[in-house]
Amino acid sequence: MNEQTELDWLDRKLQEAVSYIEDAGFTARVLEQLPAPQLRWQFLRPLILVGASALASALTYVLSDGGRFLVVEMFKVSTIPTLWVVAFALASGMLVMAGGIFVAMSKTNQLQS
Amino acid sequence: MELTDAGLVARVLVDNDQHAYGELVRRHQSSVRGLLRQLTRGDFARADDLAQDAFVRAYKNIRSFRGEAKFSTWLYRIAYNRFREDARKRKELVGINEEQWQAEQDPQTVDPGLRHDLMHALSLLPLHERSAVLLCCQNGLSHDEAARVLDIPLGTVKTNVLRGREKLKKTLAAWAQ
Repeated sequence: MNEQTELDWLDRKLQEAVSYIEDAGFTARVLEQLPAPQLRWQFLRPLILVGASALASALTYVLSDGGRFLVVEMFKVSTIPTLWVVAFALASGMLVMAGGIFVAMSKTNQLQS
Repeated sequence: MELTDAGLVARVLVDNDQHAYGELVRRHQSSVRGLLRQLTRGDFARADDLAQDAFVRAYKNIRSFRGEAKFSTWLYRIAYNRFREDARKRKELVGINEEQWQAEQDPQTVDPGLRHDLMHALSLLPLHERSAVLLCCQNGLSHDEAARVLDIPLGTVKTNVLRGREKLKKTLAAWAQ
């Protein structure tokens, strides 16, 4: 055998000498030793958001003299002419409908592709 | 569809999914344990303990896996480092456990006599040459990947592989004819 053939033979024999080692509970033993999963920040995120919103609402209520501005604004709305209210409702409805159609079309395109 | 190693690593990172990590262990346990069995010269119990430690360590440090190398290369590096630490602590070289070695090998592929001589010849190589030969010639890593695992320059890996193969070739000359 020439030198290269001998080296190729050696590499082949080295590779053939490797046999698959059966798991035989090895993976289970490793998994038992892993540290328990820690509580991750993503679970805290909704709690922080809800807490911050509640705090902001409470502060607004206190600083606005018990929500008095709401009563004032409601009174203003009640004095708007009926025609304006109908027009506003119609415009809002059309805006929402356009949004819905746009979302439905983009979803259809996604599903088709 | 079977997830790639990178996909499973992503699941571990994002969801802390230990089942995904279990799948990674299942995929790589044979090659990592095989390498450690050879590095420890057939001390199976020690090799399996080291492999277990290596997998646990890999899980704890999985955030440091940046995907620049293959997951298996990264794993080999951790396993090799764990072996080095253990060998340093022991300050001893354990003789090859030939009986156990032969009992657990598959007799179909290589002549048992040749396997015995091959393993014995491997065990006689100095650690740096044995590691390089095992990684490159047996486990199919490129020289570059082996250099990452062993944390030595590329040129040194090439030299170690060359010298190791030459020594093996001389020791096994009778079988090659």
